[in-house]
Amino acid sequence: MVNPVLLIAVPLGLAFSLPIFGLISKRLEKYLPVIAMLFNLSLSVYLVPRVLTHPIIVYIGGWAPPFGIDLFVGPVGIFFSVIIALVGLLVSIYAMDYIKEGDTGKYHVLFLLLLTGAQGVVLTGDIFNLFVFYEILCISSYALVGYLRDRDGLESAIKYLVQGSIGTGLVLTGIAFIYGLYGTLNMADIARQINSIKPAANFITLALIITGLGVEAAIFPMNAWLPDAHSSAPSSISAILSGIAIEIGVYAIARVIFTIFGATDILSFVALVGIITLLVGEMSALKQNNIKRMLAYSSTGQIGLIVFAFAIATSYGIEAGLFQILNHSLSKALLFLAAGYMIYRTGSMEISSFEGMGKRMPLTSLGFTIGAFSLIGLPPFAGFASKFLIVKAALTKGGGLYTCLIALALVATVIEGAYFFRVVQVLYFRGSNENVTRQEAPVVALVPFFVLAVLIIAIGIYPGPVMHVLNSATSEFVHRIAYIQGVLR
Amino acid sequence: MSFLNANTYYIAAFGLIFIGLYIVMAKKNLVKVVIGLSFVDSGINLLLISIGYIKGGTAPIFSRPGISPLKMVDPIPQALVLTAIVIGVAVLALALSLVVKLYQQYGTLDIRKIRGLKW
Repeated sequence: MVNPVLLIAVPLGLAFSLPIFGLISKRLEKYLPVIAMLFNLSLSVYLVPRVLTHPIIVYIGGWAPPFGIDLFVGPVGIFFSVIIALVGLLVSIYAMDYIKEGDTGKYHVLFLLLLTGAQGVVLTGDIFNLFVFYEILCISSYALVGYLRDRDGLESAIKYLVQGSIGTGLVLTGIAFIYGLYGTLNMADIARQINSIKPAANFITLALIITGLGVEAAIFPMNAWLPDAHSSAPSSISAILSGIAIEIGVYAIARVIFTIFGATDILSFVALVGIITLLVGEMSALKQNNIKRMLAYSSTGQIGLIVFAFAIATSYGIEAGLFQILNHSLSKALLFLAAGYMIYRTGSMEISSFEGMGKRMPLTSLGFTIGAFSLIGLPPFAGFASKFLIVKAALTKGGGLYTCLIALALVATVIEGAYFFRVVQVLYFRGSNENVTRQEAPVVALVPFFVLAVLIIAIGIYPGPVMHVLNSATSEFVHRIAYIQGVLR
Repeated sequence: MSFLNANTYYIAAFGLIFIGLYIVMAKKNLVKVVIGLSFVDSGINLLLISIGYIKGGTAPIFSRPGISPLKMVDPIPQALVLTAIVIGVAVLALALSLVVKLYQQYGTLDIRKIRGLKW
């Protein structure tokens, strides 16, 4: 039996030993993230069937919870772990050729640390440990946003840093309250005692933690950093930030609301905030002329939709939310990666400069189009299934509020369609068709496009195996008593 | 007055946090904003420490006979604060290095003049 702690230890160890490998050969550095993520992906996939039958709980240092830190490798953890490893692997393959400027060694160290933080957040069972991994994720993403050291990158990095550290400060204050109230940091142990304290104290703690985590998840009033940071970072980092980092924020919020606090009474408010985020994001995306800002605003919108799906809180809703996370990770990674090479070839981020790209870079354009169609929710791509599930979940839940909100979500989908179709139109149907030389992206970049596109279509046509994992993951969120008993047996 | 006496540390901690938040929101100089972040950090650390603090308490080690467990300070918040301080130092160092780079690019630290990006 392989110990799941290796999912965190291997990327962390390789991150810090990377400069030593760099001393041997500079060319070795860029292969190490690929090796680490290949290992993580194979271990995660290997663990999936075992975790589905029985969650694995690892005691760090042999101390049983609630005294020691535990890793809870349940269906949710392994689901996110597979996504992180998969997207991380594809982006690191892409970055082998894409990242040429600057101190590439530092880029790869920070990239591995970012993925380590993400892995840690989804696997840990201890709330302070979650905070530490979350900070690892945040600090490395601040540094990576400013990696190119140009004006825009530095400005957005400092904005992101100030807002992010206030957010994590609020989380830490919430954790201090939790420790003061319950005298424990283990999530299951807190969840067990959560009803022993009067609701007002719990509410303040919950509000602090959700607000803090909401900064990283870019939920509406706290999303000001996202369009700047995602558009100024190198495209490979934008793909990771959009495809992984913000989803980790949503995961942490879901874990806090469902498992730790079991707070079902605030969910209609969360649903409302989710839909506001969705509408604000999509409407801001509509008026952008810069492709990366447009994709960044679209990420805000998608996060709103995911938060709304989670806030439905029936098992349909949570399942749909998790499915949408999968779809958004794959599609948005594909979109940012494809846009990255289109920007590289044209030297401009303006959408109008991409005229004739369908002829110049046919495969990259095809990848972009598949990602865009999946995000809009056209069949037969994965986005259709996830959006369909969200609509179904909201209508099954019933009630005036959820029916109105899902109607607004569908309006937002139309807006989303409007701006994505505009880009696709520019790619294929604008500009002259003569004198176009093919300048396709290099093969190492085409591999991630191909894998992501195939996955999006395969999941869209045959969602069976994914739904099997999602079912178990949903029941981990819904049945918090089982989670508590699993950890504190 | 008994409320003040019993909650001195908490009041000081939240005072620091709110002073820090005020500095971050109101000051126009980037270095001052970073100092504000440091205030917030210190406030949170003080809050964490005061949760486990006992007046006149000792370290939780049975070093000599006759120490009552009730007089021992809870060590976990101190471990948390140690971690939080390290994280805070990392964030501040990164923030200051970004500020240095920004100054080289823009020639100013005034956030009203550093405005390349808009909605």
